[in-house]
Amino acid sequence: MKYKKITPWLFLIPTLLGLVFFRLGPMLAAGLASFTRWNVFSPPKWIGLGNYIELFSSGTFRMILKNTLIFSGLFVPGVMIAALFLALLVNNRLRGMTFFRGLFYLPVITSVVSIGVIWSWILSPRFGLLYQLVSKFFNIARLPSFLGQPEYALYTLIFVYVWKMAGYQMILFLAGLQNIPQVYYEAATIDGASIWQKFRYITLPLLTPTTFFVLIISIIMSLKTFELTYIMTQGGPNYASTTLIYSIYVNAFKHFRMGYASAMSYILFIIVAVFTYLNFKYKKRWVHYSE
Amino acid sequence: MKKSLMIFALVLLMTALFTAGVFAQKTTIRYFMWDPEFQEMERGLVEEFEKENPDIEVEFTALEPTNYWPKISAMAAAGELPDVFNMSSGYIDQWAQDGLLMNIQDKVDELPQDDYFTRVFSTLRYPDKTESDMYGIPYAWVTTVLYYNKDMFDAAGVEYPNEDWTWEDFRKAAEELTIDENGDGVPEVYGHWWYGRYAHVEPWVYANGGRILNDLKTRIDVDEKAREALQFLGDLSNKYNVSPPKKDVVGIRQQDMFPLQQTAMWVDGSWNIQHVRDMGQGAFDWGIAKVPQGPSAEPGEYEAYGWPDSLVISKESEHKEAAWKLIKYLIGKNRPVDSYMAGKVPILKSLAESDEWLETDNDPEEIEIVLELGELMGRTSFTIGWGEWRGYADTGGSGMNGVLDSVTNGEMTVDEAVEEFTEHGNTVLERYYEE
Repeated sequence: MKYKKITPWLFLIPTLLGLVFFRLGPMLAAGLASFTRWNVFSPPKWIGLGNYIELFSSGTFRMILKNTLIFSGLFVPGVMIAALFLALLVNNRLRGMTFFRGLFYLPVITSVVSIGVIWSWILSPRFGLLYQLVSKFFNIARLPSFLGQPEYALYTLIFVYVWKMAGYQMILFLAGLQNIPQVYYEAATIDGASIWQKFRYITLPLLTPTTFFVLIISIIMSLKTFELTYIMTQGGPNYASTTLIYSIYVNAFKHFRMGYASAMSYILFIIVAVFTYLNFKYKKRWVHYSE
Repeated sequence: MKKSLMIFALVLLMTALFTAGVFAQKTTIRYFMWDPEFQEMERGLVEEFEKENPDIEVEFTALEPTNYWPKISAMAAAGELPDVFNMSSGYIDQWAQDGLLMNIQDKVDELPQDDYFTRVFSTLRYPDKTESDMYGIPYAWVTTVLYYNKDMFDAAGVEYPNEDWTWEDFRKAAEELTIDENGDGVPEVYGHWWYGRYAHVEPWVYANGGRILNDLKTRIDVDEKAREALQFLGDLSNKYNVSPPKKDVVGIRQQDMFPLQQTAMWVDGSWNIQHVRDMGQGAFDWGIAKVPQGPSAEPGEYEAYGWPDSLVISKESEHKEAAWKLIKYLIGKNRPVDSYMAGKVPILKSLAESDEWLETDNDPEEIEIVLELGELMGRTSFTIGWGEWRGYADTGGSGMNGVLDSVTNGEMTVDEAVEEFTEHGNTVLERYYEE
C-alpha cells in the first residue's frame, strides 16, 4: 500500500484539532485578554499595557513573584534530594522492599485535598498532633503557628508538598538507578572504592539523564502547585503564601478580573520558558548519556 | 434501501414538526439555582408551579456556588443567560451596572409591601441604595446575631446577654467566661471569638452607627465610630486576651469554634443556627441575642447588619412575564419552610412567623430576635469589587480580612490595619468607581 503525503496528517487531525482549539486557541485568547479589562460577563475593554503596568507597580505582585521563586527554589532541590535518598534506600534488595516502595509512593496517589486537610489538623495549634506531642514531651510552652504566621506559612506549604511528591520522583530515580549496569560497581569494589566514592563517581554521573528529567518536571510541578495552597492557607496570611498560580486563580475566578489574570499567566509563561531554555542550554555541561 | 431510509427520515421530520407545533404555545423558561443541597425541594416547588401554569415550562438547574458563578458568567458573555437565576448581594451592583439585569421595580410595586420584609430590599437597588430602582427581589435574607453558650454563662454565674447590654458589659462577661486553667496564657475556653471576617466585624461597626465606606459607597472611608468598634474588637484580642488570635485557629473551621465549645460567645450569620444545631447535637444549651449596641450609636436607633439572597430576571429574557410569574411563586406562600436552613429567613412574613419556621421547641429559644432584626436592617458594605477589598471566602487571607487577622495576632495595631485596608481598598474601588 502506498501512502500519500497527506496520509499522516489525516491521522493527526483529531490531535491537531484538539491542540488548536483547546490549547493554542485559549493561549492566544489569553494573550489578547491580557491587554483588556474583562470581567467575563461583559465585553472586554482594550486598555493596552494597563494590566502589565499595574502588575509591576504593585507591591503585592512583587511579593507574589518572590513567593513563587522561593517556592520553586526550595521545592525543586528539596524534592530531588528527598526523592534520591528514598530511591537509594528502596533500591536495596531486602525482604519487604516492595512494601516500602509502595509506602513512600502512597502520598503521591492520595488526594491532595485529604493531605491538605490532614496536615492542617496536624499543624493546628489548638488541637494538632504536633502541638500535643511537643507539649507532652518537651517543656516548650508554645510552638509558633506554622500555617497562621506569615513568616512560616510558605515554608510549611513547601515542606508538605515535598512530602507529598517525593514518592513520584523517587520512582523515576529508582528506574534510573536500576539502569546503571552492576558491572561498574563490581569493578569499583575490586578497586577498593568506598560507598561514597561509588555514589559520587558512578551513581551520580550515570544518573544524570534521569536527574535532568526529574529537574524539569519538578520545576514545572513547583510552578503549578495550587490545590495545597487553596486548602491549607488560601494564600494567607496577607499574601504570605500566595504564589503566581494561586493569584491567577483568585483573580480570574473569584474577582473576575480575567484580563489581569491573563497578564499574570503570560508572566508565568515567560518564567517557565526562561527556566526551560536555561535547562536545555546548560544540559550538555552536566548530563552524560551512556552510549 | 436508500428509498426506505428517505421515507424514514421524512416521517421523522414530520413527527418532529408536528410535536413542535403542539407545544408551540408553551413558554419555556430556564431557572438556575446555586444550592444543590435543596434542589429536590426546589424542583418540587417548580413542578407545582408548572401544574398551576400549564402554559409555562421551567427548565431547572442547580449548581454548586463554585461552579455556578463561572457558568453564569460564561452564559452572560454568550448572551445565553437563564431567564431567572440567583444573585448574591455581593455581585448585584456589578451585574446591574453591566446592564444584564431587568429593572423589576414596577413589578415589585405591585406586591403587597406589608407582607414582606422590605428593609432588605435596599441592597438590590442600583446605583443609589435608597432611591434607585430594584434589579432583583429576595427569596430569603439573613442577619448577624450574638451566639452564647448558656451552660458556660451558668457555670461562670454571668447573666445572659440582654437588650440593655453595653459593650462594657459584653467585655466584662467575656473576661469572666475566659478560662485558662493551666495558666499557660492560652485559655482553654475563650469568652469570645472574632477575626477579620465580614460577619464578625461589620455587625459591631453598624451597631455603633459606624461607616467603613463613604455615603456613595465608592471609597473606603472609616469614620470614628467604625474605628472605635475595630479598636474595641482589637482590645478583646490583645489587651484582654478574651478572643484567640487567628493564627491559632488553623486546621479547624471558624464556624466550629462555638459548637465545639471553644468559645462562650460568637458573632456570625444567623444561618449558622442550623450549623450549631447540627454540630452541637444538644450537647449544651445555647441562645442568641442582638449584638450589643455601641457607645457611640444614637440611642434607640439600632442598626442591624444583614443582607438578602435574591432572584433576578435577565434583561435579555424573552419571557419576562412568565419569569416574573415564576419568581412571584418562588417567593410566595407555597415555598416549603424546610427549604430554608434554620436561621435563613423567608422574605414572606407569614412564612417566617409560622411555627414551622420558628421551631420553638428547638434551640435557640430566642429565635424571634432574628425577625426583630429584620425590621432594623441598615446599610451593608457591598460594592463592586467587594470580595476583593474585603477579602472574602477563598481570599480570606487578604484585603481587610487579612489585615484584621493580623490585628488579632498582635502583629499590627488597629490604626495600621485601617490605614492599610483603606489604601488597598481604594485602589480596588478606583478601578470601578471613577471620581
